[in-house]
Amino acid sequence: MQQPSEPLLRIEGLEKSFGGNKILNGIDLAVAPHETVCMLGPSGSGKSTVLRCINWLETPDAGAIFLRDQRVGCHEDGKKPMSDRELSEIRARMGMVFQSFALWPHLSVLQNVMVAPIHVQGRPKTFVREEALAMLDKVGLSDKRDAFPSSLSGGQKQRVGIARALVMKPEVMLFDEPTSALDPELVGEVLQVMRQLAREGMTMVVVTHEMAFARDVASHVAFLDQGRVAEHSTPDAFFTAPKTERARSFLKRYTRGS
Amino acid sequence: MQEGDYLALLTGAWTTLAIALPAIAMGAPLGLALALIRWRKIPVLGTIAAILVSLFRATPSVTLVLLVYYAVPQIGIQLAELPAAIITLTLGTMAYTCEIWRGALMAFPRDQYDAAMAMGMTRGLRFRLIVLPQIARASLPALVNEMTLLIKVTPAAAVIGLVEITRAAVRVGAETYQPLPPFLVALVIYAVIIGTLVGLQRYLEHRQTRALAI
Repeated sequence: MQQPSEPLLRIEGLEKSFGGNKILNGIDLAVAPHETVCMLGPSGSGKSTVLRCINWLETPDAGAIFLRDQRVGCHEDGKKPMSDRELSEIRARMGMVFQSFALWPHLSVLQNVMVAPIHVQGRPKTFVREEALAMLDKVGLSDKRDAFPSSLSGGQKQRVGIARALVMKPEVMLFDEPTSALDPELVGEVLQVMRQLAREGMTMVVVTHEMAFARDVASHVAFLDQGRVAEHSTPDAFFTAPKTERARSFLKRYTRGS
Repeated sequence: MQEGDYLALLTGAWTTLAIALPAIAMGAPLGLALALIRWRKIPVLGTIAAILVSLFRATPSVTLVLLVYYAVPQIGIQLAELPAAIITLTLGTMAYTCEIWRGALMAFPRDQYDAAMAMGMTRGLRFRLIVLPQIARASLPALVNEMTLLIKVTPAAAVIGLVEITRAAVRVGAETYQPLPPFLVALVIYAVIIGTLVGLQRYLEHRQTRALAI
């Protein structure tokens, strides 16, 4: 498929095993600026592992990740691993949203959003506070800024999670099944925020089971199966005429009734 | 009991605190350090930490205080009674609090730690801003419990000649031929010390932690 410009994020030949189980078996993927790529696939196909390798929460066994041509996790030769500080610097350029929200329960909503820009990026506190408030406003949670995470609904927690990542001004946002832990009636409010982000031109990699979201929002979809990208196409092509049998049976299961 | 007897018991209380408070102040952070070494599974150091913890937990305080008092001068360091007692109880507290901290570290949610990494926090920031405030809170009841136990093993320091509360009560009882009154006073003093500790715990538990991290 045709790339509109140089990829912002590039994954090459990614391999990863857990306890002798090969989860990723040579993943290649490129994400151009302002694109939303949805990774779809049956559970266990390795989608989340790919995402966690991108910001080095998991260390791949083989392959390489590039963020704007800078190698993630190791230095150019691919041998010398990055130090804790170097890893932290490159991770700070990528936002991540977790299935389990992973908010910090000892901090208020506003503190959750403010803590990293202040301590990681060293931005001035008053400035960060204004941006954090603006970000909470954007996800519709201004009135919750002094609340603690335990008092929020799942949908609210996830929107805080998105605000927390956005305030770092990331070059790319990684979403790891952001709506899978939510009650069905709360999914919409999170997807709405993500749609808005996509419209504003944020570069996003989204692991999801929300087929309607993928169909409407994705620039292209990558269908993962057995640790490989089995299909990589536009949402139109993927949802109307999937090329592989595995994708057809997957779609049959996930779009049933919708 | 006369005024002088009460004074003797209060002096004993001072000695008890002079042993216990430094032992708590040093033992709890040292225990955290050992717990972190074990938690990160640092080779060699982790094993040494595990052996130290087992050793100090297995040794009665009386035995340990005698060992420290008589063993340390062998390597050429003169050690007075009070420092010897403080060192002994510091080692014991270190071992017990190590296990308390380690339990809290092992129970710490992985996803919160992942989130801290994903936000670009270095190892030090992750620990200071995210992990420590939460494990300190989770460990507080067990830590205070350990402190009350520590207060109650301070009489072990009497074997090397320190006159803490219980030893002072024995003396007063022997001099006045009335053992009961000094022990009742001793009981009250212990109750006040431990009550203060528990009160401090309550205060910390109810205090808002909002000003803590940022």
